[in-house]
Amino acid sequence: MSVGKQEALQQALTALRTAIPEIRGALIASTDGLPMAQNLSGSEDPNRVAAMAATALGLGKRISDTLNSGALTETTVTGTNGQIFLYAAGGKGVLVVVAAAGANVGLINLEARDAVRTIAAVL
Amino acid sequence: MNPLKLVISGPVGAGKTTFVQSLSEIPVVNTDEAASENIGKATTTVALDFGMMTLDGIPIHLFGTPGQDRFDFMWEILCEGALGLLILVSGDRPQDFPHARRILEFITSRIAVPFLVGVTRQDLPRVWEPEDVAEYFDLAPEFVIGINATSATSSLLATVRLLELVEAYDPYYAESLQGNYIFGQ
Repeated sequence: MSVGKQEALQQALTALRTAIPEIRGALIASTDGLPMAQNLSGSEDPNRVAAMAATALGLGKRISDTLNSGALTETTVTGTNGQIFLYAAGGKGVLVVVAAAGANVGLINLEARDAVRTIAAVL
Repeated sequence: MNPLKLVISGPVGAGKTTFVQSLSEIPVVNTDEAASENIGKATTTVALDFGMMTLDGIPIHLFGTPGQDRFDFMWEILCEGALGLLILVSGDRPQDFPHARRILEFITSRIAVPFLVGVTRQDLPRVWEPEDVAEYFDLAPEFVIGINATSATSSLLATVRLLELVEAYDPYYAESLQGNYIFGQ
């Protein structure tokens, strides 16, 4: 990946975190599970998060397809302590947004969908 | 009879997806995505392959895993409740043997499951023989078989051999697992 591309992706993540300070972290992975840019605050291993994002998105695509719901755009994992939002960024990438339980889902979706358009254009 | 679960694992490019496709009687559920690294092919499995077959009237569910280490959580998830494990490794890529051995150890150290090692691409002229691979893996020859994953017959023979090993391991193993694996009921 070129330096320019990498920088543009990192910028998209920084913009996202500035827009929604309450998110715990964000990461961009390729659809085959390699991290391309990340802004995780915790001790999470970006390699593992990227692989899991690709797995969840890949499986979601098949579910959406099987149930005649068209191309997958988003999928969410919700736990008692947090929420993880996964967005398809064009055909090549996936954006992961990690937030605490009770975070403003509407705002996250609004900003992340915006970010995804930027990311898809970069990729 | 409840369906039996078999898992197909091994390094990238060993022929896991092809193996499931050769045997499945339904359109295979696969999760292929474009490969962004150079792995010698255009796409790679990111979650699983799922296929179904019947053998002597017994339904068998086939689960193929991704090959890269970063997807190791899927190896564990998919091997839960499995009756048998087939580790595939390409016979013309001896540089992948250590990785195949690591995958085998990763899985069998976490889940006690009978296994068979399949050496694929036996249709090629210059390829490692199953006997030599058995020596490398430090296994008795009956635990390693030569396969051409593109051939349904060859893949079926490997499946039968794996089921024979499962039976030798414990004749009641399938029954003992019946409560654990109830997918598709």
